[in-house]
Amino acid sequence: MVVWLRIAVSLCMLGFLGAGTSVQAQEIAMLSKFLPGKTMDEAKAAVQGAITSHNYTFVREQPIDSRLVPQGWEAKSVHIIYFCNFAKMNQALAIDVRAAQFLPCRITLIEKGDGVELVVVNPAWVSESLNNPLLHQDCQQLKADYLGILEEASL
Amino acid sequence: MLGMLLNGTVLAAPLIASKAVEMRQAMDDLTAAALNHDMQVVKVQPIDSALVKRGYEDPHVRIVFVGSETAVRWAEAADPRLLNLLPLRLSLVQRGERIVVVADDLEPWKQEFKDSPGLVLLQAIEEELKGVLTDFVKQ
Repeated sequence: MVVWLRIAVSLCMLGFLGAGTSVQAQEIAMLSKFLPGKTMDEAKAAVQGAITSHNYTFVREQPIDSRLVPQGWEAKSVHIIYFCNFAKMNQALAIDVRAAQFLPCRITLIEKGDGVELVVVNPAWVSESLNNPLLHQDCQQLKADYLGILEEASL
Repeated sequence: MLGMLLNGTVLAAPLIASKAVEMRQAMDDLTAAALNHDMQVVKVQPIDSALVKRGYEDPHVRIVFVGSETAVRWAEAADPRLLNLLPLRLSLVQRGERIVVVADDLEPWKQEFKDSPGLVLLQAIEEELKGVLTDFVKQ
């Protein structure tokens, strides 16, 4: 019985049971920006520069199939850049531990014939289903940061 | 819902599993469970130690990324937008003596891709994640 109660309390604290004011669904799933004429290396450099100027820290960069195929055989056309802002990460996790679903921040770079597309999963879209208005506010700010980074990388 | 958790089964939407175990052992168990389902741990993101190192409170959260080459190739073929979901993320949250493992919520993704060939991949991913979490609990 004690175990039941502990799990119930933990889940409520984590917010898994859902509570509070609902968040209306109106966000698009993905944010994207196309960088015409850029190579993958140029796009990676542009994204890393934009990340830094928006007060985020570069975490790592990897091909989409890193560690899933032998080294040297990874896809060259799809890369992921991870980054974060530790103060924002701390704040989001303090609001709702389900913020881990957005961490660390990530941009996917997809090389196409005539440039590179930058794609981001819109955190405000994900947070709509989590039904926590405070976290949703945080995610809207994160979305604004992503849009700023995408815009700057495209300049 | 609580009954299901107590029986050690895995909850859907979002996929959650929990058991009494230390974080290090949970990571090992999760790695073994992923391997049982042809998935590999691609990266561990120790958010807990990263924040503590910078003077923040310990959130007792780690993230484990798991993936398979098959899922990547399938996403490329079915709907490349799904590449944004890969590798898959599992959040490990320590609560007292228990570790709660939570997979990203796939429901919004299934809604978004309901008219896409990618839906089949999402359903397959969901089944695999259920299997991974069930194995994690049993280890």
